[in-house]
Amino acid sequence: MSIALEADRLTKTYGAVRALDDFSIAIPAGGVFGVLGPNGAGKSTLFRIALGLVRPTSGSARLFGAPPGDISALRKVGAMIETPRYPAYLTARDTLSLLALESGRKGADIDGWLARVGLTEAADRSTAGYSVGMKQRLGLAAAFFTKPELVILDEPTSGMDPAGIQEIRALIVDLAQREGVTVILASHQLDEVRRVCDRVAILSKGKVVAEGGVAELTAGEARLRITAASPIAQVLSVLGDKGKADGADAALADIRRDEAPALIRALVEAGVEITEARWREADLEGVYLKTLDQEAA
Amino acid sequence: MGNSLMLTDAILAERFRLLRDRSALFWGFCFAPLAGFVLSIGGDLFLRNVIRQPMPGMSVALLDQVIKALADGCSTFSALFLMIGAAAVLAGDYRGETWRLLTPRNTRPNLLLAKLLVVGEAIFWNLLLTAVLSALATIIGSAIGRKALIVTAMDRTVFDAIGVLAITWLEAMTLAALAACVGVLSRSTMGVVIACLGARFVETVLSTSLRLMDQGKVTGKLLAIPVFDADLLRGALLDPAQLGPAASSAGPALAALAAWIVALSAGAVFLFQRQDLTRE
Repeated sequence: MSIALEADRLTKTYGAVRALDDFSIAIPAGGVFGVLGPNGAGKSTLFRIALGLVRPTSGSARLFGAPPGDISALRKVGAMIETPRYPAYLTARDTLSLLALESGRKGADIDGWLARVGLTEAADRSTAGYSVGMKQRLGLAAAFFTKPELVILDEPTSGMDPAGIQEIRALIVDLAQREGVTVILASHQLDEVRRVCDRVAILSKGKVVAEGGVAELTAGEARLRITAASPIAQVLSVLGDKGKADGADAALADIRRDEAPALIRALVEAGVEITEARWREADLEGVYLKTLDQEAA
Repeated sequence: MGNSLMLTDAILAERFRLLRDRSALFWGFCFAPLAGFVLSIGGDLFLRNVIRQPMPGMSVALLDQVIKALADGCSTFSALFLMIGAAAVLAGDYRGETWRLLTPRNTRPNLLLAKLLVVGEAIFWNLLLTAVLSALATIIGSAIGRKALIVTAMDRTVFDAIGVLAITWLEAMTLAALAACVGVLSRSTMGVVIACLGARFVETVLSTSLRLMDQGKVTGKLLAIPVFDADLLRGALLDPAQLGPAASSAGPALAALAAWIVALSAGAVFLFQRQDLTRE
């Protein structure tokens, strides 16, 4: 399996702030890889290092096996980092023409991409008057229109309307599946990551704190939800430190699946009147918040 | 892909961009020649209204006027506008935070060199516009002032005009290369304009003071001042007899101008290659 982006013990400091702290990751080529983390977790710094915009304090990064800033590797990459900005005197068409010239891709399908991101009607208007969502759409076109092998997207749907978000998600999945483009996607929208990404890394304070397939990350995180007619305090006393209240009449038990029969037996023996016991699958949000809580603790 | 091809890509992109940045194009590279033209015609009209009578025997020399305009093509007034244009090209990507769009698409040395070369090209067109408008103003002015129009009163040739254009271009390019350095360091268009005008002012003052102190001798200190080098070269080209022994320093003066351009450009590229573009 080839590696699209690799970081080895990468550290980047800005004064006293450690944006990346001994950070290591290997993102495989193919599919959509999600990068999650709160503000300041180091997502944008990772991308900026990979694209040669900033230099690491220590450690190394490689893009398609080449060091950051290597132009032959960079020309395989399309990127949209943070809120995209454009020269105010250029239209959307001019902006893509400029980038095509800069990349040596004079024959790039500019009109096709403007249509694909829904900017045909606004193509000859100055980008200075664009809404945030329109700027995001243009940023996506700019990232994709030179037919890159890897696309790095930092919050690609922020500022977009719901219909636009759906279109862009579909576009990302389509490109990844049909055209084999590798997409690295940083997002705060966990639902977006869940829907779009195959694999995910969760970043906190400049480190990777969890990494794996979305199903893999959520698999071990299911909880047994026990609803009882008895007082919930009675249930919690049996569950001990593995339980927590979930509403007035239910508790969540943090146990393995094979521990469930013994737990239910213990509850019945303690006189708890169980009305329902069912497994509740964890979502990515739960995993994300739990991981960050553990990291903070 | 060859680096020269990639540099060509970067130049084409930068030229494309400047042609669409009408504000930088007009104020930076068209305004000063246009203002000179308008002021010249305005002055002729004013004089005609004041004097009213044709002045017999008065003439204007077309080539002499063009050469004078070209020699003033990097005066402090013209330099102010040239640096406004250069700042927009060389530091505009810091102001607009648009480096992040460009740096993944070409090498950093190419990106900065392309900007510098496009500024150089714009300065060339600015000087050519200066020459054309100056010629036009001279022709129109001769008609307004009812003066005879002659080609030259001082045996000037078109080659003199081309030579002065080249020297003034080199002089302006020392400022453009300085603008590239300051642009990278300060990340500010205003910083570029202020620093370059400040440098121009200091150069002029130093050149005048040292010339007086050294009583006409060409010293190493004087040769290190681009404004002096350009004046010396123009003098050596147009009137070597009046310069006397100083005319023999034309070669070192030309080398000094070229050295400033190369050193400042290399410095700008060196700094830019190592610069973190965290917030452009």
